[in-house]
Amino acid sequence: MPSPVLPLTWHLAKASGRRGLHSQLLAAGAAAVGSFLLLVMIAATVGAGDRAAHTTWRTPDAVPAKRATAVQATTTTYVRREPVTVVNLAQLPGRAPTPAPPGLHGFPKRGEVYVSPALAELLHRLPAAQLADRFPRVTSYGTITAAGLASPDELVAVVGRAPGDAAVSKSAGNQNYYDEDLTKRAPVAGFSATKASVFTAADQGTVLLGVVLLVVPVVVLAAAAGRLGAARREQRLAALRLAGATPRQILALTAVEAAGVGAAGALAGALAYVASLPALAEIPYGVGAWYTGQLWVGLPWLAAVVAAVTALITVSAVTMLRQVAASPLGVAQQADPRRTRAVRLVLFVGVLLYIWMSTGDGGQLKTRQLLALLALFYGAFWLFGPWVVDRLGRVVGRRAKRPATLLAARRLSDDPRGAWRTVSGLVLAGFVAGFFSVSALGSEGPSHHGQIAVITANAADARHTATEAREALRRAGVTATVIVTGEDAYDSLLGGVDGVTAQVSGGPDRLDTAVTALTPLGSGRYPFTQEYVSAPDDTVTARVAAVSSATLVLNFLVAAASAGLTAAANVLDRRRVYGLLRLSGTPLEVLDGARVRETVIPLAVLAGGTTAMGAFGAMQLNKAAGTTMNVGGALELVVCVAVGALAVFAAIAGSRPLLRRVTAGPVPTAD
Amino acid sequence: MGAVLAGHGLVKKYGSTTALGGVDVEVGERDSLAIMGPSGSGKSTLLHTLAGIIRPDDGQVLLRGERIDSLGENRLSALRRKRFGFVFQCGQLLPELPAEENVALPLMLEGVPRAEAVARGRRWFAPLGLEGLERRRPGQLSGGQAQRVAIARALAVEPDVVFADEPTGALDQRTSTEVVQLLTFATRETGAALVMVTHDADVAAHCGRVLQVRDGRISGYSQFTIA
Repeated sequence: MPSPVLPLTWHLAKASGRRGLHSQLLAAGAAAVGSFLLLVMIAATVGAGDRAAHTTWRTPDAVPAKRATAVQATTTTYVRREPVTVVNLAQLPGRAPTPAPPGLHGFPKRGEVYVSPALAELLHRLPAAQLADRFPRVTSYGTITAAGLASPDELVAVVGRAPGDAAVSKSAGNQNYYDEDLTKRAPVAGFSATKASVFTAADQGTVLLGVVLLVVPVVVLAAAAGRLGAARREQRLAALRLAGATPRQILALTAVEAAGVGAAGALAGALAYVASLPALAEIPYGVGAWYTGQLWVGLPWLAAVVAAVTALITVSAVTMLRQVAASPLGVAQQADPRRTRAVRLVLFVGVLLYIWMSTGDGGQLKTRQLLALLALFYGAFWLFGPWVVDRLGRVVGRRAKRPATLLAARRLSDDPRGAWRTVSGLVLAGFVAGFFSVSALGSEGPSHHGQIAVITANAADARHTATEAREALRRAGVTATVIVTGEDAYDSLLGGVDGVTAQVSGGPDRLDTAVTALTPLGSGRYPFTQEYVSAPDDTVTARVAAVSSATLVLNFLVAAASAGLTAAANVLDRRRVYGLLRLSGTPLEVLDGARVRETVIPLAVLAGGTTAMGAFGAMQLNKAAGTTMNVGGALELVVCVAVGALAVFAAIAGSRPLLRRVTAGPVPTAD
Repeated sequence: MGAVLAGHGLVKKYGSTTALGGVDVEVGERDSLAIMGPSGSGKSTLLHTLAGIIRPDDGQVLLRGERIDSLGENRLSALRRKRFGFVFQCGQLLPELPAEENVALPLMLEGVPRAEAVARGRRWFAPLGLEGLERRRPGQLSGGQAQRVAIARALAVEPDVVFADEPTGALDQRTSTEVVQLLTFATRETGAALVMVTHDADVAAHCGRVLQVRDGRISGYSQFTIA
């Protein structure tokens, strides 16, 4: 005999009326948001890796001189403070032809210049004296296609050179501390190198940081969706048990319904992800916008996320029902408060002490150590949060004067884990945002803005070059002070290397004109600016700042959705007691106030506390590292936290009409 | 002795169904009135109309001579909170609050300081046999104990009228008797009137009067002498 579960589930779903439909739509909506965000997170991670992989060909991997077919010298120049990666290539005479670099139709001949579309646009837009004159003069540029680029916005040039050209000479590959990852020369036989460019290498790691911080709130959101129909299912359980259904059939019924709703929502989220791929690709990160294909996760990931979200909602719904099945009254009336133990506090303090001891020696932490400590703190806080909510509930409960506050406090200590889940995303995001928004992440060092440095072979060359530089700048119409720097000038832009520095007056266009004018003097090396010297640090700082801001915003959105969904689920779960209280004359404002306080009290204390803690931690690290506070970041944090708190408040307020409706009065009957 | 609560010519229709077809009813101080009738007879509609929860299509409801059926929703809500007490079949206690705070809640809603509200609510625990259960939560109480807490909460505001809608519907026979005895005793002690809907004749027998309702009209009336 065929199982009655499927037809019965379908029949009950259809017969559940508007209220049932509302619950199902809300649950499906949450599943959609969950799967959409998970796919976007995976897409960003996969895409960031893909981007980095598209840049590896530019960093030459040296082969023995006998096997080399060409010389590759990659360097970086800046225009409008944006990096332009320049790959100089020279085919060695008498050697086998070198294959074409990725994105090019063939190996560039001497004098040929290939540029990325974004650089072509810039070359067209800016006067030649500011950019084009840094490259050999050509009648037309070749185009580097997507295969050789990390982003459509990336600025890349490939220049064909003669083997004796200064741009591919050994002096062009001389390494100073600031050249690491930005300039490298080597004999090559192809482009199968593995080291990603400095501008994309940190992308995937920092995206992963955001994913770690976002995944828990997204899971909480999906789990909250599974809880939505709990009260309705509870009634169904009672009715079906009376009608003779077995617990296994009821569980199967619930699982089928939740899986159906979850799968529909997750699929909708996946479709939304696919549909919004072109829009998502326009969101700039790091070197710029994305190629749409970079953000396509592939069918296996797509199917895995839909399955995972569906499973999560199903498990959440079945777990809820299992509690009802085990003790219906226990769940409905919550016989025993779900207390938390003080061991959580002990563990948390232990982790804090460990972190304190690990960072006590001056804050010179590597990013990986920082991430490990962050993850440790995250885990410890996940244990600690419910304990704080429980104690908070008890303390507020003891002192509450108003009925709404008393109700909220009792609910907090009644189910601290549930209350914690609602606010956890924001609380942990608050810590991270607090930390990164005021942290400079490493030593900034002396500033050399407006300076251009030209490396020379020795001190004598430097004096000669200084004269040439003055003349070149005069011809270009740039006002600048040119000085010779030697090995004593450690704090100069050259960092103790022989050369000249020019202090340029004027804005970015003057600086770019000066760099272009000084390019012929660099004996194969581009003159460089402050951006070049601080590129590795600045890149990581910028990526972490971008990811932490995005994480904060997304966390607020997810937390707001979670809070709104939980608030709606609570109204539906408690509609009988709310309805009877309202009939007895309890003002709606009191019931509503209790709901709002139930989230706002832990949110204010915990999110406020952790945000302050994060900011304090960053200040301590900055102090130890002798760097300054990021005041702009702190302001951004305050604005973000305020807007996020308002969003959560608005999401809870969104279920007020539902509360009004379910407590509007007795159902009209003829009795 | 004048009527505390009176309904005159009460009519309530839902579409083409007449739930109340012109009912007259009065209850005085310390009076207890049971409303009985088969399902769909209109007994709950009558209770809800007298309690100001639903408005009659015709007729008047008077509380100590003042008309209440024409009051605005906010004033009606305040009236229910301050001058009426309610006992329902089940599920009316907030599961998170201990018994004493459930009882104190209506007083706190009226602005009574929490400590005083709890102290005033606690006075009802001994007479209702709830001593020692003050800190228990509804989930830790038996059905009968929970109903007694609900009675204490209904009486805490010292109401003019207590409305009870099937207050023993979820209880066994013995517990039903205990609860209804306590309910009638406690309302008499406070001087409040009691209006109770029940389908159980044994429960109704504890009230001074019994109204039989059928098809929205009073079909019978009995009076008992309360010991």
